[in-house]
Amino acid sequence: MNAAAQAVTIVMVEDDEGHARLIEKNLQRAGVFNEVRHFTDGTSALEYLVGAGRPEQRPFLVLLDLNLPDMSGFDILARLKADPQLRAAPVIVLTTTDDEREIRRCYELGCSVYITKPVNYETFAQAVRQLGLFLAVIQVPPTP
Amino acid sequence: MPITKTMLGQLSLLLMTIGFAALLATGAGLVWLIENSRSFATGVSATEEVRLAASRVLSLLQDAETGQRGYLLTQNSAYLQPYHDAIEGLPRELPRLERMVTATGGDTGAIRRLHDLAGAKMDELAETLARAELGDLQGALAVVRTDRGKVAMDAIRQSVARIEAQSAQEVAARSAALNRNGRLLLIGAAAAFLLILAVTIGAALLAWRYTIVLETAQAAIAAANSSLEARVAERTAALAAANEEVQRFAYIVSHDLRSPLVNIMGFTAELQASIEPLAALVARLEGEAPALLASDARLAVTEDIPEALGFIRSSTQRMDRLINAILRLSREGRRMLQPEQVALDGVIGAIAGALQHQLEAAGARLEVAPGLPVLRTDRLAVEQIFGNLLDNAVKYLDPSRPGRIAVRGRRTATHAVIEVEDNGRGIDPRDHGRIFELFRRSGRQDRPGEGIGLAHVRALARRLGGDVECRSAPGLGSTFRVTLALTAPASAPASEDSPA
Repeated sequence: MNAAAQAVTIVMVEDDEGHARLIEKNLQRAGVFNEVRHFTDGTSALEYLVGAGRPEQRPFLVLLDLNLPDMSGFDILARLKADPQLRAAPVIVLTTTDDEREIRRCYELGCSVYITKPVNYETFAQAVRQLGLFLAVIQVPPTP
Repeated sequence: MPITKTMLGQLSLLLMTIGFAALLATGAGLVWLIENSRSFATGVSATEEVRLAASRVLSLLQDAETGQRGYLLTQNSAYLQPYHDAIEGLPRELPRLERMVTATGGDTGAIRRLHDLAGAKMDELAETLARAELGDLQGALAVVRTDRGKVAMDAIRQSVARIEAQSAQEVAARSAALNRNGRLLLIGAAAAFLLILAVTIGAALLAWRYTIVLETAQAAIAAANSSLEARVAERTAALAAANEEVQRFAYIVSHDLRSPLVNIMGFTAELQASIEPLAALVARLEGEAPALLASDARLAVTEDIPEALGFIRSSTQRMDRLINAILRLSREGRRMLQPEQVALDGVIGAIAGALQHQLEAAGARLEVAPGLPVLRTDRLAVEQIFGNLLDNAVKYLDPSRPGRIAVRGRRTATHAVIEVEDNGRGIDPRDHGRIFELFRRSGRQDRPGEGIGLAHVRALARRLGGDVECRSAPGLGSTFRVTLALTAPASAPASEDSPA
């Protein structure tokens, strides 16, 4: 198995540009240099992940915001977990609330980690790393 | 026409009066008829007496004539006895007859004629007898032969017959009157009976109509009641919906307010991180080429920017806490109450244990009166209520005197009343209402807090079917009185859907 070919792509579904930028910066600061694909709405994210022209057999890690303009993050989570190819992909839910019922529902739907914003980026980066390693991630070091 | 109660009373009274009057009239008529019959009977017997007396007079006169004839035939004076008896009896009998006729209202003219005729007859008899006693028998017979006596006697017979006929007529007339009166009374009684019947039916009809009116009114009241209940249910539902709406609003607002805040906090941290290399650069410049370093640039990097970042950070953190508080309150409002048996002794005891350290540090004493009520309510909510109140009591003690906090309770028919009293610094009376509002605090702001605790206490107490009120005097202490329903009201099930 080619490690480079199996590099995990991080798919970030986040409508707030500021949040997205902060997440990216902090991932890099924590030493996670995987490719990050950013989508600001659920429709385009689903189009990329489960649509007709989706990339074959690539490992994904999904960072999912629950409050999206066009659909609920729960819907996306349910779609991902219903897809045979993507079922194993770890999903980190990032949201602004720590409502118990939302957290429970996310775990019931199969999310891997639930993180409340504002993010403690130390634990966040650690979680990303662990989930990535679990999926045999090879971190691609930045080309100097 | 609708019948009112007053009208029913008046009409009933009127009908009853009519019926009673008819009954009274019938009774009076009966009494009158009885009186009438009695006077009729008296009248009939009086008339009989008249006839009897008249025939006695006739008989006396006939006896006198018979005596005269016998004497004229025999000249034996023994035959004159009836004649003498008549002479003696007539002056007695004739006035008697006259009195009777007068008494019965008969024709006195006939009596007077009879009187005259009797006188004439007796004169004739006396004349013949006087002649015969003197021996003139032929003369006496000649007087007889003149038929004077016979004519008088015939007239007397006719007169008596007339009196008798008159009497009989009177009896017949009285009898007819009696009959007529009886019939009249019968008709009257029948009419009275019909009237009473009509009155009775009228009264019954009236009562029936009034009953219908009452029933209609009752139905209207029942309808009004049921519509009132429906309206109450409607309002309650509307209120519950409004409450739900407020909860959702609070949830959504706090949710959406946090989004930009995350950016402010995140990029503040980025700025903080970016300022570090700049500060290092400034430090190096200061050492190596101080001429290159403008003093205001150095000030900006070493003081102004860190100060600004500090304020931004503390403000955003505070805002984060406030938003979290709103979120917590809204979440608390959405939480399902789980009523269970809650002994306040145990709840307060546990809180006192948790506060022990703070109490000791403040040198304060907490006295819990034994025998606090036992409720059927939500344990968590009660714990939060008294946790907040006791926390406040410890937090706002007056350092100038030893702290003393007392908890006591009693129960009424429906509620438990628990008082938490302290001898702390007290609350300005102006603020007694304000302190229960969200983010409002009273007095010197020298203690940590966001102004959430009491708002939370009030919201919880109200959810548990009670309330909280405050009595306090600045410098003396405060008493918070919590009333809680002995049995907490059933809470509406919070919707399980995500509010997002």
